[in-house]
Amino acid sequence: MTSQTIALFRYLMLGIMSRRLFVLLGVLVLAAVLSASFIEELAIINGAAIVSAYVADFLRYSLSLLAVLVVASAVAEDYQSRQFERLLTMPLARWQYIVAQTLVIACLCLLLVLPALLLVSLYSGVAVGFYWAAALWLELLLISLLGLLAILSLEKIPQAVFFSLAIYLLAKLSGLISLMLAESVRLSEGSAGSRAVEFIFGSILYVIPDAGSFAESDVFFESIDLLATLGDQLLSVTIYALFLLTVCLVDFYRKEFSF
Amino acid sequence: MLSLPRPLLWAFVLLLCAQLFHHHLDQQRLQTGYQGLGKPFSVAAYRGLAMGSEQLLGYLLALRLQLHDNQAGRHFRYSLIDYELLVDWLERITEISAGTEYPMLLASRVYASTGDRERLRLILEFIQRRFDDDPQLHWRRLAEASVIAKHRLGDIDLALAMARKLARQPPSVEMPRWARDFEFLLLADLNELESAIAIIQALLQTEAVNDPDERRFLQGKLLDFQQKLFESRQTPAD
Repeated sequence: MTSQTIALFRYLMLGIMSRRLFVLLGVLVLAAVLSASFIEELAIINGAAIVSAYVADFLRYSLSLLAVLVVASAVAEDYQSRQFERLLTMPLARWQYIVAQTLVIACLCLLLVLPALLLVSLYSGVAVGFYWAAALWLELLLISLLGLLAILSLEKIPQAVFFSLAIYLLAKLSGLISLMLAESVRLSEGSAGSRAVEFIFGSILYVIPDAGSFAESDVFFESIDLLATLGDQLLSVTIYALFLLTVCLVDFYRKEFSF
Repeated sequence: MLSLPRPLLWAFVLLLCAQLFHHHLDQQRLQTGYQGLGKPFSVAAYRGLAMGSEQLLGYLLALRLQLHDNQAGRHFRYSLIDYELLVDWLERITEISAGTEYPMLLASRVYASTGDRERLRLILEFIQRRFDDDPQLHWRRLAEASVIAKHRLGDIDLALAMARKLARQPPSVEMPRWARDFEFLLLADLNELESAIAIIQALLQTEAVNDPDERRFLQGKLLDFQQKLFESRQTPAD
């Protein structure tokens, strides 16, 4: 059973490794370095820290988008080429497909964080570089699993990418949205409508990743206990990733494929 | 082409002209006029927008502010900048990324170069106000501000208030002795020689100063001020 899963993982991994992926990665790294050198020219003090944080955040958001696109395209192609039907005729359980995809995502994220490790280590030192690479790997893993769930459920790339990014941004901007809703309640003098919206958003926050699931960019400016920060993120991401995988499994087992 | 409904064709031509005209006006506005600073959002709004990277956002906002006088390839005079809004921006950036020196540096090294006394005063007051956030980080800026207040603004009282703030910092705030010595040097300038002498004597007696060169400097100043005080008391009698 394990060998079947590994064989499936290798097959799926070969599907996403393409020259296009490496070219895109190269373009992103080049864009990060060039725009960072412009910022470095402008900064009067703390240039190294600003540039390092900028490169790290630039790569964080661009690689998140790239990871979701790669995962969504790969699974969408499986739908289009009726790969699932073919796979299910083989002696394979559906959970093995999800496990194989999870391994693919883990390896893809590892590949994507390598340039971040290199660049951040160059700008901020090896310790911060390794912290950022590990934290970014966890963050990319999370959003890629979100992408996997989205594409398995919605089956179309635009909808899946939109859904994944919406959840990601909702989690990232939850502080701002909560602030706006609280202000709206205050301005409407506590109207029932505003309170209801605030309550609904508060409830949604329980099922999206919390702030601790993301890489901490303050490490570039303050001395922070890197291991403790990473440990907190690992716990948050593990719980949420397992939750996402369970939802993926439920959805995948629910699906009917015509043979 | 011929099958297109005539109203649609007219609408297309009209909207294309409107777009071209609007773009032309926009370009002219950008090329000719200075675009003033907008009012900053609240700290909470920026913290929300930062998506967890508050420090980076603070620095990027500071860089944007630093570039504000360069618009559409042209450099504008600082006299065009609304300094009250500028100080609002500096305050906001300081609050977003606590522990940063950048806004204070911009204030003392960049925006304090204005020739307008009122604007300069706003900047110096900002530095004086924000110094308390982190005296260890900002003592250089307050020392610079004190010098600017004395020589450029000609406000010895403000300079003295700043120098006094520096001198009153506890020993845990590490800064060179010259920064703490500003107070008595300014007092001497104000002809407050007795106060200056009292401060130096206190410094020498409490052994707060261990460095031999520093003690020699203080003893020299003490003799100098005592001589001046003596001469000033002799002069009316002569």
